Amino acid sequence: MNKLKTYLLDNSWLELTIRWVLGLIFIYASLQKIIDPAAFAKIIFGYDLFPGGIINLAAVILPYVELISGIALIAGIYTRSAALVINGLLFCFILILTINLIREVSFDCGCFSTEITGSALSPESLLIRDIIAFIFGMQVLLFRNPRKGCLMQ
Amino acid sequence: MAGSVKNNISTKNTIMEACILVGIAVFFAFIINALSPNGIALIGKWDKESGVVHADAKNSVVKHELEIGDVKLAKKIYDADKSIFVDARSEDDYNDGHIKGAVFLPVHRFDQLIDGFKNKYSSEATIITYCSGRTCEDSHQLAQLLFSHGYFNVSVFIDGYPDWKEEGYPIE
Repeated sequence: MNKLKTYLLDNSWLELTIRWVLGLIFIYASLQKIIDPAAFAKIIFGYDLFPGGIINLAAVILPYVELISGIALIAGIYTRSAALVINGLLFCFILILTINLIREVSFDCGCFSTEITGSALSPESLLIRDIIAFIFGMQVLLFRNPRKGCLMQ
Repeated sequence: MAGSVKNNISTKNTIMEACILVGIAVFFAFIINALSPNGIALIGKWDKESGVVHADAKNSVVKHELEIGDVKLAKKIYDADKSIFVDARSEDDYNDGHIKGAVFLPVHRFDQLIDGFKNKYSSEATIITYCSGRTCEDSHQLAQLLFSHGYFNVSVFIDGYPDWKEEGYPIE
């Protein structure tokens, strides 16, 4: 078991794959929000968790944090820090989804689209997806060997 | 001891670099938001008491001066029988129930249906648009589209179908 854990944590090909997958997911997720920040702000409002004063700021800043971190992860620039930011975001998403699941508040995910049409996935599925992404992100964060395909080690 | 110091430095570096990444993101976010035609104000209008909530985008369709924010006033206008109530919601929503006598003109099928609407109602008609309440901007968008087609007497009933139904007013 320990051998497998060490193998997974130290596997540079796995690290590279996770970086690319997570990076592409976050870049893709940011694009529609960047194009239509007003629709994304409305989705944040729909979560019914945030004061009006920070909704627009979150809608403006968050997509660029996703985009820059995604690019950094793929390019291998400040890789561990990019993984830290992405896992920080995922942790926030997990927290928000959990709170709204407990409160039984219906909401639109807004994860990859700003269309308010009801998410294709249930909140439970979204939560599981984010937890899996978070676990993969931990591999990149905790990886201590030389990384493959990095512009900066 | 040396390992612990090295780890501390590494953690500090990671956090510092994360701050740099977030800083770059914030810089680009504000610059691009300021320059983009789709940019939004830094503080939106999220108080439902003040009307339809929205992010206050540069291209926002919401004009609070058009709003009828009282369901009882909307009913008075309806009872006077001089106005046309126009439903901006989707076909499914309209078929599930709408204000009695309301005309179906959803925003996403506007181009398809506007000619028929214009043949039936003159530009002098008094029009009240509505959708699904104060989080819905479709009624405002429909009002702007109608203005662009020459209608000049258009108002927006912002509480929309849900509150109308809740009051027990005529639906079909």
